[in-house]
Amino acid sequence: MRRPLEIKAEEASVRSVVSLTSALESLSSMQIAKTKNKVLISNQFFDEVWNIYKQIRVDVLFNFGRMIDEKPIDKELLILITAKGGLSGDIDQRLIRKVIEHYDENTHDVLVIGHHGSLKLKQSHIDYKYYFELPEKDYINVDPLMDIIKKYEKSRIFYQNYVSLSQQEVKDVDLSEVVSSKGRVADLDTIGNDMVSEKNYIFEPSSYAVAAYLEQSILRLTISQFIYDSRLAQVASRFKAMSAAKERSIENASKLHLEYNRAKRNQVDTRLKESLAGLKKIRAGGAE
Amino acid sequence: MAGEVVQPVPTSEPEQAKSHGGKPTMEVKVYAPFKVYYEGNAYSVSATNDTGPFDILPKHHNFLCMLVPCNLVVKAPEGEKTIKIHRALMHVKANRAVIFMDV
Repeated sequence: MRRPLEIKAEEASVRSVVSLTSALESLSSMQIAKTKNKVLISNQFFDEVWNIYKQIRVDVLFNFGRMIDEKPIDKELLILITAKGGLSGDIDQRLIRKVIEHYDENTHDVLVIGHHGSLKLKQSHIDYKYYFELPEKDYINVDPLMDIIKKYEKSRIFYQNYVSLSQQEVKDVDLSEVVSSKGRVADLDTIGNDMVSEKNYIFEPSSYAVAAYLEQSILRLTISQFIYDSRLAQVASRFKAMSAAKERSIENASKLHLEYNRAKRNQVDTRLKESLAGLKKIRAGGAE
Repeated sequence: MAGEVVQPVPTSEPEQAKSHGGKPTMEVKVYAPFKVYYEGNAYSVSATNDTGPFDILPKHHNFLCMLVPCNLVVKAPEGEKTIKIHRALMHVKANRAVIFMDV
């Protein structure tokens, strides 16, 4: 059996892990509340812009704002949105696993957002072509990302989606398909007077210029929305991981405390036994 | 439209005629995904697009335009508010002007 002092020292270090995980859990909880609130506020904004886009859209094809004579790279760009660093649970690992299932080095180029994802890709021996830091501020400048997306024939985005505090999903969608499906109107009759056209609207500088601009805006907003969603899922995953780590460390600390008490009692018992044996010896010596 | 005040054109939309102290007003909202810069009634909104500076007055015809970097001025009953714009989209419909910033 280990010495009580050793166990006591280990228990103290486990207790500090409990404090640390507890602090990180509280921090994640605050971040979730803040991020969730921001996502809800931004959704209203996105919905309103989507609605205008839906009414102005005349075709279902989305070409990433490319010129007609512009020839795109005949490859699919895989865009991965991952966390900035570790301590975000297993969500990035799950995302990388999903990418590996899909990845073919001859037909895909990889763009990774977030340092953690880039490390995981290196570990999985996948070379990425483009890398961006995960933006932390509210305003996300996605223009450099859009310049790259525009060059490719197709783009698929792998992101993390917040379902609830205990559940976060890893999803992948075709970027062109998601924009087209959101812009598509199921029944043109339902639009009625809401249709945005030159008959009932003044456009400046022109209807084509506004529609082209809106298409760019929608792509910009879609990418931003995926980044915001992923950020929320990442903090929720971190909260889940920290809660589990806290529970485990509390359990370990209790076990160590029990072990310490046993070791201490064992030590006292051994000393008592030795004292009694010594006493017996003395008494036996006195009797002779 | 550059440099001139756009005259109100009657639209087919059912509009609620609003006024403040006898002066007609319209609903104005200027916002970005995470921030509302202005929300309330206003007498006019002034901004700049590719064509030049322009004003939007109450009961303006349906209007959709891209704004260029400029100072957006909202003249409201409680005073004038100036908002610096980098990139925005303006949508005017049914006596309501919405400016989507950073899109």
